[in-house]
Amino acid sequence: MTKSARSRIFAKIRHSSRGATAATIREELDSFGKAPAADLPTPDTATAFLANVLKNQGTVDCAANRTDAVRAVGQYLYQHYRTHRLVAGNDSRLAAMPWRDAGVLPRFGTAEGNEPAALSYARLGVAETGAVVTFTGKANPAANNLLAEHHIVLVNCEDLVGDMEEAWLRIRHEVDRDGRPRGINFIAGPSSTADIEGQLVYGAHGPRGWHVILLGYMPASALEDARALAAG
Amino acid sequence: MEMHSQAFLENAREALGDPEKTRRRGLLAAFTPMVRNAAMESFGKFEPLRQHLRRVRQHTLDNLDHYLDRFEQEALSNGNHVHFAMDGEEMNRIVLEICQRHSARRIAKGKSMVTEETGLSRHLQGAGLNVTETDLGEYIIQQAGEPPSHIVGPALHKSAAEVRDLFLARHDLGERELEETSQLVQEARGVLRQRFLEADVGIIGANALVAENGYSMLVTNEGNGDLCANLPPVLIVCTTLERILPRAEDATAMMRLLVRSATGQPHTCYTSFYSGPRREQDTDGPIETHFVLLDDKRTDILASDYREMLQCIRCGACLNHCPIYAAAGGHAYGAVYMGPMGSVLTPLLTSLEESHLLPNACTSCGRCAEVCPSGIPLPDLLRDLRQAEQAAKLSPPRWRTGLKLHAWLARHPRLYHGLTALGIPLLHRLGRRRGSFSKLPLAGGWTSQRDFPAPQRKTFMQAYAGVLKAEKKRRRHD
Repeated sequence: MTKSARSRIFAKIRHSSRGATAATIREELDSFGKAPAADLPTPDTATAFLANVLKNQGTVDCAANRTDAVRAVGQYLYQHYRTHRLVAGNDSRLAAMPWRDAGVLPRFGTAEGNEPAALSYARLGVAETGAVVTFTGKANPAANNLLAEHHIVLVNCEDLVGDMEEAWLRIRHEVDRDGRPRGINFIAGPSSTADIEGQLVYGAHGPRGWHVILLGYMPASALEDARALAAG
Repeated sequence: MEMHSQAFLENAREALGDPEKTRRRGLLAAFTPMVRNAAMESFGKFEPLRQHLRRVRQHTLDNLDHYLDRFEQEALSNGNHVHFAMDGEEMNRIVLEICQRHSARRIAKGKSMVTEETGLSRHLQGAGLNVTETDLGEYIIQQAGEPPSHIVGPALHKSAAEVRDLFLARHDLGERELEETSQLVQEARGVLRQRFLEADVGIIGANALVAENGYSMLVTNEGNGDLCANLPPVLIVCTTLERILPRAEDATAMMRLLVRSATGQPHTCYTSFYSGPRREQDTDGPIETHFVLLDDKRTDILASDYREMLQCIRCGACLNHCPIYAAAGGHAYGAVYMGPMGSVLTPLLTSLEESHLLPNACTSCGRCAEVCPSGIPLPDLLRDLRQAEQAAKLSPPRWRTGLKLHAWLARHPRLYHGLTALGIPLLHRLGRRRGSFSKLPLAGGWTSQRDFPAPQRKTFMQAYAGVLKAEKKRRRHD
């Protein structure tokens, strides 16, 4: 039954198709050039990324090194839960963090139904949208993005890109090397809904808190400038 | 779903009779364009990006056999099962068969207009499956047993108080406070979390299908679609052929306009690309994944003069900017798709006989075409449908005679100018004192809602001739 639907559909489409060769099709597509992207609020990618994360109702922290990063994670957990419980994917980068320095002991694995906080190490951060990009897999099970009350995400400064087109260049590079992941997730904010009377509420089905920690070298005033940009 | 488009006029009249709902629709009609416009203004590249996307989508539709074939190959090599369905019934049957093969009982469903179109949930429920709509808006209307009133915010016609009463009646959770909207959301979160964890099958739609790599794109703010796509052991993606785009960056470029047009955000909270079942190393994700690609007249539309309608990305901006939608509300259309895009699509998906009233639900104000991120000339398509209605003699004979008379008159400019030169000054004299008419013969319906302004002393053509004359005189003097 389905097979016949397939051939009928293809026959009908071919009827209204131009019947161009693959090379001609490729050529025409390439001739359209790059799609216009949103301008960054400031030329510095790190500052722009942080500003857009804030605009997306995320909270942010900056860390110069890995010790600062684990401290920032510990602080966030303590502020919200008075606990150091945390679930993180089996990411070698996360496993190598100096957790003891912050007294945090993550459980490495997949988030369960009622986890307070989950930690991901993003592949990329996109300045244009203030989104972080994760791939599903052992290093970051999809459940870790979705089931915890708070989602903490680490991003390296050198993994920031300007716009979505640059993001895909990087993603293609990784996919060519490691194969296609099951899921590629762009996350830009805590889960939200405006389905009741158009009123915006956070924590619809996914995390109600989304905390991004930017790790690496960035201008000293990045966080301050980002806050000013987000407020303005 | 069941069609009630024939009753559009009665439905609209009834909707206008409810002052509280009319007031809330008015608020939404003021608020939704405001957030969209602010977002486009700060983006600043609406027109160039709209042009770019139009070219890409036109190109995709022109070569749809190439891209559909490519998508299918990639999706298969990603480990998916790919099914094709000619119509809604076939899609429903395929999905039910998959569920039954897995002895599934509980289905968690994300928001998908395509499955609304095919009435999938009802079909599955009819076979004894327990289907939960997990998008908050969809969940609310599922509990209320109502159809969506908007393609993006399906329950926006409901007040928070109505949702509270609904939850109190439907959730057996004892005495509790539900005064705040946040408490309502919190309650739904708790109820639905369990459904996600228990579901045997997840069903989602797709905002785009990427031909180059076989991924589908899903755009949500709640994250419910992602929970459906990641937690249950079986995932079924239900969508239509025209969602295909050549490259991943085309999908995210489209998203720039989609999200700003829909909710005024630069980016939704979750934009996810899913390729297929879990990989060997993965610790979670579905074990089996299916794509069900529905035609349901898309290939007919592709071959017709209404082909541009296939560029629609379901953002809802045309609904939010339509004075008829604002006045009558989504339910009046009696169809899955409403507002300007629905008034074009419904007659094409059903028949002009059933839904010929919908293309008349238009004032030709042109706001829909102005804001449409796909640049679809909606007022033109609606006019073409009205013309087809006229040709098929579906409109009331009185309208047809009137239009014929008008057309005849318009083709006789001298007579036309002569008659208007008589009529307009007469109306001017009659309405001079008040400046407007509260009643006019043959226009009772119009004047029942507002006054008709009294015209100027002269017709436009008379005034124009006067200007030309004066100009000529001035030139002679120079």
